[in-house]
Amino acid sequence: MLYKLAMKCIDINSPYCPCLLAETNHCTFCSHLKGEAVCDCNWSGVCILYEKQWQAKKKNWIIDADAPVRMEADTEFILKEKIAEHTYLLEFEVIPELAQALDRCGSFVFLRRPSDQQFYQFPVGVMRVIGSHIQVVVETTGPKSAHLLADNNNHVLVRGPYFNGIFGQPWIDNIVNGKILLITGGMGQPPALSIAHRLVKKNNDIKALVAPGRIGKVFIAGELTKLGITVQEVASMRQFGMQALTELLTDSKECPELIVSAGPDEQHYGVIAAMQTAQVNLPMAATNNATMCCGEGICGSCDRLTKDNKRVRTCKVQTDFSQFAQE
Amino acid sequence: MIKVVVVGGGWAGCAAALAAAKAGAQVVLLERTDLLLGTGLVGGIFRNNGRFTAAEEAIAMGGGDLFVAMDANSRHRGIHFPGHSHASFYDVTTMEPLVKKILQNYGIEIKTRARVSGVVKYGKKIQHLLDDNEEVFKADAFVDTTGTSGPMGNCLKYGNGCSMCILRCPTFGPRVSITAKADVKEIMGKKADGSYGAMSGSCKINKDSLSPELKDKLEKEGMVVIPLPENLKKSGMLGKKACSQYAIADYAENMVLIDTGHAKLMTPFFPLDMLRTIPGLERTRYEDPYAGGVGNSIRYLGMAPCGSSLKVDGIDNLFCAGEKSGILVGHTEAVVTGLLAGHNAVRCCIDMKYLELPSELASGDFINYIHAQMTTEEGIKLRYTFSGSAYFERMKQRGLYSAVRGEINDRVIKTGLNDIYNTCLV
Repeated sequence: MLYKLAMKCIDINSPYCPCLLAETNHCTFCSHLKGEAVCDCNWSGVCILYEKQWQAKKKNWIIDADAPVRMEADTEFILKEKIAEHTYLLEFEVIPELAQALDRCGSFVFLRRPSDQQFYQFPVGVMRVIGSHIQVVVETTGPKSAHLLADNNNHVLVRGPYFNGIFGQPWIDNIVNGKILLITGGMGQPPALSIAHRLVKKNNDIKALVAPGRIGKVFIAGELTKLGITVQEVASMRQFGMQALTELLTDSKECPELIVSAGPDEQHYGVIAAMQTAQVNLPMAATNNATMCCGEGICGSCDRLTKDNKRVRTCKVQTDFSQFAQE
Repeated sequence: MIKVVVVGGGWAGCAAALAAAKAGAQVVLLERTDLLLGTGLVGGIFRNNGRFTAAEEAIAMGGGDLFVAMDANSRHRGIHFPGHSHASFYDVTTMEPLVKKILQNYGIEIKTRARVSGVVKYGKKIQHLLDDNEEVFKADAFVDTTGTSGPMGNCLKYGNGCSMCILRCPTFGPRVSITAKADVKEIMGKKADGSYGAMSGSCKINKDSLSPELKDKLEKEGMVVIPLPENLKKSGMLGKKACSQYAIADYAENMVLIDTGHAKLMTPFFPLDMLRTIPGLERTRYEDPYAGGVGNSIRYLGMAPCGSSLKVDGIDNLFCAGEKSGILVGHTEAVVTGLLAGHNAVRCCIDMKYLELPSELASGDFINYIHAQMTTEEGIKLRYTFSGSAYFERMKQRGLYSAVRGEINDRVIKTGLNDIYNTCLV
């Protein structure tokens, strides 16, 4: 039984809580740290006000402006493999603590050249963690990602760990012996792979629907099959995938308990539309595609509006994707 | 069948559930932790001073089950200790199962580990409540007896931090006020210095950690008064206390221990190393709150605005009792308000005129007086109880105090309210 998700900050119970937002009464969780007079939180087992009291060491975030808030690793690419036009598989080594922290689904890092200004950093979801090696896939379409790989650069500054790459993470974490449908395409494939690994460990029965998406290539199908997942490849998610999905959802024998949608927002909304057509309402975990600049809840670029008219900083706040107002 | 849901299984909630069941409703009692009685699990003192009158009034009105149970489970009766006469001490270590049994005998469904966290209302009427597991609790009327103390953030902001008390917030989740969730603005009590809240006024010491002589004396006489060494007298503490009936000089000069199953130490907190310098307490340790050397829970951070019927202002089918209903202290007070709130919850479902206790009765005068006082800047800084401080003085002045059973019974008969709580309304 998968319960409704309460809105929760992903950094709670991590070394990164309380964060800078607690200093200015903008904590996403604790009523006192929002400036209210009494307790009124969605209890998650931790009192953030207490954490703040006991973690006075966090003060250095404020005092020393240049000190990094998270871990940083100045490193080089070990592997730079072209998967498709403008799409590269990158591998690099980081400090073991960072690798360990990133070894969970939904984690991501910020990348930039060490010589570049901080505003060059961009978020990338982690596909694999092998020892202290990290594998990611980057599509070099924007100025930041293009600049990272321009003129054969091999140097990279990795900053992390960040965790909120998937909305509905508690569902993925808690489902055991379940029936799951994984829908993925294009740049949703790297996070889909890390989610698949996680779900297989918990003895779940998974069916995957994979499309090449905008990058024009399916590159995880082989590995998914190896994991014992039934993979169905479609040439286009929009044209054929959603059709197949609607049929699957209307068939009560095939209907899953959880849908994982790893891909662009259009795909998430397509899945929601297919559920409405099939007249089912299933929990859906979905990859977070928000534009991010700082990852710390400060800049507001990842801000999204929910249906009950709240603004949510999606780099930190874990919620159910279906609660967002379609923009 | 009309249905009443009571939220909070402390003394007030138990009394409300009982009164609603007796008046003919189907009752569900929701409790966040795994035990009933709430802070009553570390209480024990009743029938002292005016509480005797209030208990007898409740018995005469037909709502005496809980007092009878306390009487039957008393370790000591007729005890006199500084400022207090004819007190009884029920045994906190064995009280809970007895109360649970009584409620079950009335057919009340008790759900423990059910922490209500959501309220759904339509207009001014609560439709249903939701607990942490999304379970839905529908009813015709609701009673909020969720108390006013905790959770840890509040105890940290207004006190000395979480002292690990019987509320056990970290384990079972913080208390949630139904009134606040129903968008009713709550009232916050103040300390004498104007800051919010008040600290609970007693700690429990593990009796086996006292010296054998002290333990024997305590068990034989029910209480012990130990004069404090000169260096330990602290008079600044009294203003912070919730239980103002013990905020008297006697308690600054002496250490008062009471036998309620544990050794109840009548002070909000007392640093352990200082405590152990007192003869007989060299090896002592706290039982509740576990950090009694550092602080205690903070109370009165969220009372519901309500009138003499205990219906919450602004919501048509929500009632409140115990500390939620006003700045009152004690189990007797909780039971008295609980009975009235539970009874009126049933009247609400059948469109019957609400019961309001007349000022000829101590309990009626008490409820009316508190609500009048709470609207004043001075009154919000005081705490009210039948057993002492401002209200007991008023009781005596108005001739409402009596320790004679027959006299109190006659008084109730005169108001025509005898056995009112025993009357099935449905």
